[in-house]
Amino acid sequence: MKIELTDKHIVLRRTVRSFADREIRPIAAAIDQEARFPWEVVEKMARLGYFGIQTPRELDGAGMDSLSYALIVEELSRASAGIGLCIAVHNSVALYPLLTFGSEAQKRRWVPPLARGERIGAFCLTEPNAGSDAAGIEATAVADGDGYRVNANKVFVTNGAVADVCLLFVRTGTTGGKEDISVVVAERETPGFAVGDLEDLCGMRANPVSSIRLCDCRVPAFNLLGRPGMGLQIGLAALDTGRVGIAAQALGIAQAALDESLRYARQRRQFGQPLARHQAIQMMIADMATRVDAARLMVYRAAALKDDGRPFGTQAAMAKLFASETATAVTDLAVQIHGGYGYSKAYPVERYYRDARVTRIYEGTSEVHRMVIARGVLG
Amino acid sequence: MKERHWIVCVKAVVLDAAAGPARRTAANSILNPFDAPALALAFDLRRILGGTVTTVSMGPPAAGPVLRETLALGADRAVLLCDPAMAGADTVATAAVLAAAVGQLSPVDLILFGTRSADSDTGQVGAQTATALRLPLVADVQTLVWHDGRCRVTRDCDGFLETYDLDFPAALTVRPEAAATGDLALGRLEAAFAGQGPHVWDLNRLGLSPGAAGQAGSPTVVRQLTPVGQRKTCRFIEGDDAAKADELVRRLVDGGLIG
Ligand SMILES: Cc1cc2nc3c(=O)[nH]c(=O)nc-3n(C[C@H](O)[C@H](O)[C@H](O)COP(=O)(O)OP(=O)(O)OC[C@H]3O[C@@H](n4cnc5c(N)ncnc54)[C@H](O)[C@@H]3O)c2cc1C
Repeated sequence: MKIELTDKHIVLRRTVRSFADREIRPIAAAIDQEARFPWEVVEKMARLGYFGIQTPRELDGAGMDSLSYALIVEELSRASAGIGLCIAVHNSVALYPLLTFGSEAQKRRWVPPLARGERIGAFCLTEPNAGSDAAGIEATAVADGDGYRVNANKVFVTNGAVADVCLLFVRTGTTGGKEDISVVVAERETPGFAVGDLEDLCGMRANPVSSIRLCDCRVPAFNLLGRPGMGLQIGLAALDTGRVGIAAQALGIAQAALDESLRYARQRRQFGQPLARHQAIQMMIADMATRVDAARLMVYRAAALKDDGRPFGTQAAMAKLFASETATAVTDLAVQIHGGYGYSKAYPVERYYRDARVTRIYEGTSEVHRMVIARGVLG
Repeated sequence: MKERHWIVCVKAVVLDAAAGPARRTAANSILNPFDAPALALAFDLRRILGGTVTTVSMGPPAAGPVLRETLALGADRAVLLCDPAMAGADTVATAAVLAAAVGQLSPVDLILFGTRSADSDTGQVGAQTATALRLPLVADVQTLVWHDGRCRVTRDCDGFLETYDLDFPAALTVRPEAAATGDLALGRLEAAFAGQGPHVWDLNRLGLSPGAAGQAGSPTVVRQLTPVGQRKTCRFIEGDDAAKADELVRRLVDGGLIG
């Protein structure tokens, strides 16, 4: 099997890297500290197609493949993981279900403005009492005339404070089982839709992660995605694709930590020689580079399998698990190599360390991923 | 009126210059950053006067993706001049090949070049190509405007601003400030790689003999390339900020570094 970047992917990686280095890297520390969503960069990214990476051209997207998507998220996350998160969630778990499960009319209505980045998407599954156990959600959409009356309290919504189009997981039935769960599209302008406070997060602070509350919100029947009861199926399909993105994000953070460590280890001198000459540091660097390389192969393989139309769910779960654990391990070593300076905001590695941590939690924790992988392996 | 034709000569340069002769691959080759403004200026001209933009590059197959990039940026057509016999060319042999290509792509209104390449830095190819084509050349153009039906360009030379009105066809080397380069949109990149790539022309197609191109056509013989160690010294300037600034300016003036 060949896992190789084509010329297109190589030019794409260079294009995104130079954009990120020029536009995002210089503000990455500030938007983290100020917990600020950088509209000025986001608007540029919207014009350049970053909000419709895999959306077909006829729906105003760039029509790219999954490997391109992974490369883009990796490179953006290398500069700012919070921006990488915005793009990953918008393109995968928000847009992908619309493209896959939406009717033609629904796609025409919601997809083009999302793909052009004029509207931002979000995926609202998690609730105060339902995290890993997605089937435990309590939000409801009760049939009411020619639509639904929706009540929901969603937490930890990535892009929440800026989201215009939200995929909302709700109960449309009363059995209390999985077959009750459906997805409705809720738009920000709808009366009864309210954005809660920003989550005061450890990392990913450039992303306006917040809660979203819907209170007796009237949503037309048109807004039901797929059929009633398809919620978990839609959610799982979305998360399968989403995993490639989160894995790529973790990879980007890990690569940034490795880059910074190489630079620092060559330049910082102790005991009369650069840190890079001390064998203990060399061992750390070797472990970091090996893990990053392995994570990259896994992420690209999962994306390539998806592009080939082959089963990729287990491989994507493995890539997400391994890349996120790599990111936390590698950023931890990066702080260690930087010593006290690594623990200071004077260097970016403490930010990488904080940003990396959540990749083991969201879109399915490492524990949940091990369950998914075990199911795939054991059959 | 006949349709305008703008030709931009571009080079795929090696990202990290190696110590010895570097093998160019798609991964280590980029569009010469000094060529991007020339391309942007051609797009400006197309916007104002219409016509088509053709990009031309002499290089190995690894230069293909760089030409695709020019298509993604907006070029209408790209031509890769590629032949094993073109390898090892100096600036004269490069200019001979580019001139032959321009001849075949004619009629042309303006041929645009960057001022120099990031990896060889001679700054000669634009001038030599114009000479080979017996076309007027303005080097180091800083501004270009369309004025009274003529192309007016300016260049800064030894403290004087020179202004030229040009008749077409002509050639320019373009300074980075002459045009604003844009970011590459993802959809256009995808389309450029999905669509038809650059045309590939060999010596035969150009009607050139092997003796006119590559190493055989190059009068330059590189005897030796030796890295020169840089000697750096550091002097500290004492005093308050104003005194330090004055002293710094005085030393730079004394050293002939600023005027
Ligand atoms: C920055 C950020 C952004 C987020 N963005 C979104 C978003 O856009 N949309 C969205 O819907 N959600 C989002 N989330 C929520 C995220 O997906 C959940 O936090 C995650 O799924 C875990 O749920 P929980 O926090 O309720 O933890 P819990 O499910 O309570 O888990 C707590 C611990 O128990 C473990 N555990 C749970 N069940 C089992 C089990 N059966 N076996 C073994 N161990 C188990 C977990 O692995 C974990 O270690 C985001 C979270 C964060 C922090």
